[in-house]
Amino acid sequence: MTSEGFKRHGSNSYIAEFAENEREILINLAEQIIELLAERIDHGHEDPLAAMVGITSHDSPPEDEVLHRLLPNAYQDQADSAEFRRYTESTLRNKKQAHAMAMRMYLKSAADGIIDLDHDGANAWLGAVNDIRLALGVRLNVQERTQDELELLAQDDPLRGVYIVYGWLGWLQEGLIEALMDER
Amino acid sequence: MVKTDTKIEEEIRAIFSGDTPWVTIVWDDPVNLMTYVTYVLMELFGFSKAKAHELMMKVHTEGKAVVSTGSREEMEHDVARLHEYGLWATLQRGDQAL
Repeated sequence: MTSEGFKRHGSNSYIAEFAENEREILINLAEQIIELLAERIDHGHEDPLAAMVGITSHDSPPEDEVLHRLLPNAYQDQADSAEFRRYTESTLRNKKQAHAMAMRMYLKSAADGIIDLDHDGANAWLGAVNDIRLALGVRLNVQERTQDELELLAQDDPLRGVYIVYGWLGWLQEGLIEALMDER
Repeated sequence: MVKTDTKIEEEIRAIFSGDTPWVTIVWDDPVNLMTYVTYVLMELFGFSKAKAHELMMKVHTEGKAVVSTGSREEMEHDVARLHEYGLWATLQRGDQAL
């Protein structure tokens, strides 16, 4: 990884330069989130009329652990949670997809690997990167594993690569937040 | 948001019983960076950096913190916005045990 991360330029511009392989990794990850969220829509067999007004057939949390983390319960009470989900989950999915799509669009249209975000773009980017980190965090089982255990993953452990990307995304996110907070 | 009869009943009861406020709780999560949680709280609630940092530290050290108080509808709105940015949040009646 060679990128130096995001730096602030002027009052509303946050710029980072990415190498081709970094850009490919980021596009791939954004697309995985877009697809994962789309799966949830397909499996719902939603009533098109209800879907038009934002009501979904989903009133139970996703079985997939990653989707569950991205679309969590709003209440500790199951019945309240189910009702809230029916009326709000599709909006939440759309917003998360929009963040990931914005990130993908920035990366796809980056000339010479240079990404230039304004404040709103930066927020969408942060939301998308965070969703990717939440997804990778579930795969890495960060809830149960300690940082030391993750650091000590063997060279040939397939999760090692995931952990490196997870750490890199955190570093990238942190740099962008520092650049954003700079102005306050 | 469309309401069911039970929800309306509940709210009417709340109004007559002195309108118990609801609360939005942010829960600790091992993935979300401390700076990210602080930043999201500043962006969504307009908190100062100091206030947002204090709430984030409470989440981090105590496992949870109340970040907003208000009507049930307002708290549902806050939880939805927190979920949009990946924070782990729930709402509940303010008089319920945290």
